[in-house]
Amino acid sequence: MNEKFILRKDHLTGFLRKLSKGHRLVAPVRNRYGDLMFQVIDSLETTDLDLSEQAQESPKAFFLPQEEVLFSYEASGGIYDFRPINNSEQTVYFGLRSCDISAILYMDVIFLRSPRDDHYMKKRKDSILISIGCNTPGENCFCNATRTGPFLEYGFDLQFTDLGDRFFVESGRARGDEIFSEWPQFFHPVTEEDVRLQYQLALEAKAGFRRQIHVEPAFSKLRDDAVDTAVWREMASRCDGCGGCAYICPTCTCFTIFDRMESTETGKRIRAWDSCTHAGFTRMAGGHNPVDMKIDALRRRFMHKLYYDYSAFRRPSCVGCGRCVDMCFGGVDIVKFIDIVCAGTRKRTRDSRRILGDLLLEAGLISRTDLEKALSRQADTGEALGKILMDLGLVTCAEILGVLSLENM
Amino acid sequence: MTKQTADNPNNQMVNSYTPFPARIDDILVETEDGNLKTFRIVLENQKDISKWNHVPGQFAMLSLAGRGEIPIGIASSPTEKGRILFTVNRAGVVTKALHQMETGSRIGVRGPLGNGFPVDSDLKGKNIVIIAGGFAFTTLRATLVYMLANRDNYGKITVIYGARTPGMLLYRDELKEWAGRNDLEVHVTIDSEAPGWDGLVGFVPTIAGEVAPSPENAAALICGPPIMIKFTMPPLEKIGWTDDQVYLSLENRMKCGLGVCGHCNVGPVYVCKDGPVFTREQVQRLPVEF
Repeated sequence: MNEKFILRKDHLTGFLRKLSKGHRLVAPVRNRYGDLMFQVIDSLETTDLDLSEQAQESPKAFFLPQEEVLFSYEASGGIYDFRPINNSEQTVYFGLRSCDISAILYMDVIFLRSPRDDHYMKKRKDSILISIGCNTPGENCFCNATRTGPFLEYGFDLQFTDLGDRFFVESGRARGDEIFSEWPQFFHPVTEEDVRLQYQLALEAKAGFRRQIHVEPAFSKLRDDAVDTAVWREMASRCDGCGGCAYICPTCTCFTIFDRMESTETGKRIRAWDSCTHAGFTRMAGGHNPVDMKIDALRRRFMHKLYYDYSAFRRPSCVGCGRCVDMCFGGVDIVKFIDIVCAGTRKRTRDSRRILGDLLLEAGLISRTDLEKALSRQADTGEALGKILMDLGLVTCAEILGVLSLENM
Repeated sequence: MTKQTADNPNNQMVNSYTPFPARIDDILVETEDGNLKTFRIVLENQKDISKWNHVPGQFAMLSLAGRGEIPIGIASSPTEKGRILFTVNRAGVVTKALHQMETGSRIGVRGPLGNGFPVDSDLKGKNIVIIAGGFAFTTLRATLVYMLANRDNYGKITVIYGARTPGMLLYRDELKEWAGRNDLEVHVTIDSEAPGWDGLVGFVPTIAGEVAPSPENAAALICGPPIMIKFTMPPLEKIGWTDDQVYLSLENRMKCGLGVCGHCNVGPVYVCKDGPVFTREQVQRLPVEF
């Protein structure tokens, strides 16, 4: 392990062709709608891989399909028989991102702790994972905060780094070493310059994040039960319960199980993605639901991802891929939640009526005497402080909006 | 496909979503409203029968072709060889279909699942109080039958069982039989006076307050509606019972029964895998949603 080689870019197709012989190859491809998706590649001659950015969806569905047959059954006369179905194929995954690998490692914990899930285990045993580090983190990425990227130390069979005209390739598992020794014709020794360049690119990637997400402070707030009910209520009011966040999330593995009849005698038992934001996720036969309200369901969701999993595994089950940010049209994504929680608790230390006043004071836009005057008028009239300050001609609307937006950053 | 391993002491089935083929051997209507039936189940394959071994308090998934699976507590004791009992309330899609089935019908059984009552460890040598309300008596019946079959392992055993009316009591014949035993104290109560009933009248918490024994070297196993559990605790606490002596069995929506699918997750625990039996002390630490 930890062997390092150079693969020339013009040798990539040849390498993947050899490697995927007898295997299925899954890699990111841009479809005609412009979506970048992990797809099964039938022919490398006619399909162009696209490694330019993070794929729109994680490869979760290849390990936990949106719908998966657990077994088929036959029930007639005196029999009710079950035939287990093997859904797995030997597969090479190429072009995974560090967040995708981290998510698979998380799924391993969920599905492979005792009792093991044999459907998942077969797919994992049949997989070769090749990732590519992210030289330029995407717009919504924050894997630096969840410590799941942009480059990884372990978890991959091979990790690629784009060095321009060549890939720097390192192995993270014995399977990776086997690939090096099996196809030596593709791999050249690394030079000191290659090592230096790879190191520098990984450093620059860490500096390239546009978002600063306070994952660990959010964990502390949740641990201390310091999230205001108003925050949950506001988020709940904006959640439509569509389940999109759970479906797009590479670590959301909840599923439901149901039967699909094919005739009166035959059918299949199926497991399918489910989401804790769906009404009825926790509803029992007879109608009792311990997590009845949207607000409780949301609290359960974020507590699970950011608190309980963090407590159990010393890392959140959020891998910082940022996919839920674009998915949720209500803004009920994990990034927004963390932002609000961390900002909200900072405010909570002050008298809430004075937040705007304090902000304007700090910004030097009003004096303390101005503020006292406005507050005493507010005590009489009950008007909004901002309106009073504007009426008194002390600040403009733009100045108020300015300090509020600073506060939200 | 299934195997039991040494690191799996609770006889949890490993590695499969596939049920054992089974048939309904007998059906008994338990209650006057017809909504509760006890199904006697026999596994079809000899190898499954010899492998089957459960702990009172565990549950299993019952499978109906085309309808799906439901988690049901096992009402029989492992000492009752050759049959597995499930007392099922008609409540949803699968239970409704199950209630329409006849003797001889084929179903699937997946289990045993979860953790039962610690009958062979923490409860051994202790005085036992079993408190049950309504149709939550099922896994406690399993526990009681197991304890009576291993009578020397336990001290004094007290049973407090209540239902709305005499006709809503489960296992009526056995209740009579147990009442006649001298190594067991049985208090059966109904909510309000009814013609022909000459037994106790009053809610379970009230009766528990009157007859509950000392908490010294004792454990209480309580199953019933949440409201019953809530009101049963104060009279017990008054005479010195603590939460770590009280065992409860939780229920929640479940799909896999293996601690994977997420439906029964409460805070850090999965009711199916870490329970369904918890001490009240453990339950108190769970988040508010429960």
